Amino acid sequence: MTTFEFLSWLQDSALAHAISKTDHLVGAGLQIVHVMGLVALLASLVLISLHLLGLAFKHQPITDIAREATRLVWLGLALTALSGTLMFIATPKLYFYNPAFRLKMILFFIAVLVQLALFRKTAAQTAPTPTFARASVGISLAAWFSVAMAGRMIGFI
Amino acid sequence: MSTLYVLAEQIEASAIGVAIAESRYAYPIIEGIHLIGLSISVGLIFLTDLRLMDLFMRRVPVIDVLRHLRPYVIGGFIAVFISGGLLFWSAAARMLDSPAFVAKMIFMALAGVNALYFELVIAQRAPVQDSHPVLPSSVAYAGVASFGLWTLVVVCGRLIPYLPSWG
Repeated sequence: MTTFEFLSWLQDSALAHAISKTDHLVGAGLQIVHVMGLVALLASLVLISLHLLGLAFKHQPITDIAREATRLVWLGLALTALSGTLMFIATPKLYFYNPAFRLKMILFFIAVLVQLALFRKTAAQTAPTPTFARASVGISLAAWFSVAMAGRMIGFI
Repeated sequence: MSTLYVLAEQIEASAIGVAIAESRYAYPIIEGIHLIGLSISVGLIFLTDLRLMDLFMRRVPVIDVLRHLRPYVIGGFIAVFISGGLLFWSAAARMLDSPAFVAKMIFMALAGVNALYFELVIAQRAPVQDSHPVLPSSVAYAGVASFGLWTLVVVCGRLIPYLPSWG
């Protein structure tokens, strides 16, 4: 089965029809969940970053706030991934051949990798060195902002 | 209303309005800035609201949350308002035609009034200023109102291209 055949099969599947053929507001609902998930993810990440850089809540232990906010990061990620997967299943051919979508997926995997390999470790330390903290925050926020930017381009390219 | 509509059509037809609407990259990039700016400003407000409801960062005093996050909320809003203004510039008449856009503006105004009342009245009272362990219920209500109103703003904003215009 070629990729195109697979995407065609997916686009004609019962689940794809259930999402795309019922009402165009189902798609709008998925978009809303996708945006709210992204807002939860980015805001929590910004909060942890401000704390790591010593720009907010200096008197609170780093791990305290990071632990609570990280839960919201993963909740946001779960919401965006779930709604995004459903959006993809509804019209896979539209997304798969879109260069902005491909760029977004590459950036997304980089962002998740940075999150797991770097940011999470920095946030778990009680006193990360300032340079290490700054580098982690910079790389992580740049990656996630790029994901958001590339995602917003999908409908226009 | 018709004078407003004529004005909106003139804004949309202006050189900058047309330039944004017709540029291949300017429009999506401004949309991207709008999205990232709102994730920071509205996103940090959501986190503040959760604190007011006693659901998040309970060990950090409310007054510290307000004070420390304020510059970033305002910074995010500056990006949102500039990018949103440019997007409106390029589609002013279409926006006035859109019930989702008008609803978004109304909910935004209500969220603004709620935020001002909270900052200028509720947050000025002794329990918040002195970080009492138990805060009056008006603090939590302000958080619930803010969370609900900003959610409606985001929902209406995303619905602009999906809902039909007024006939």
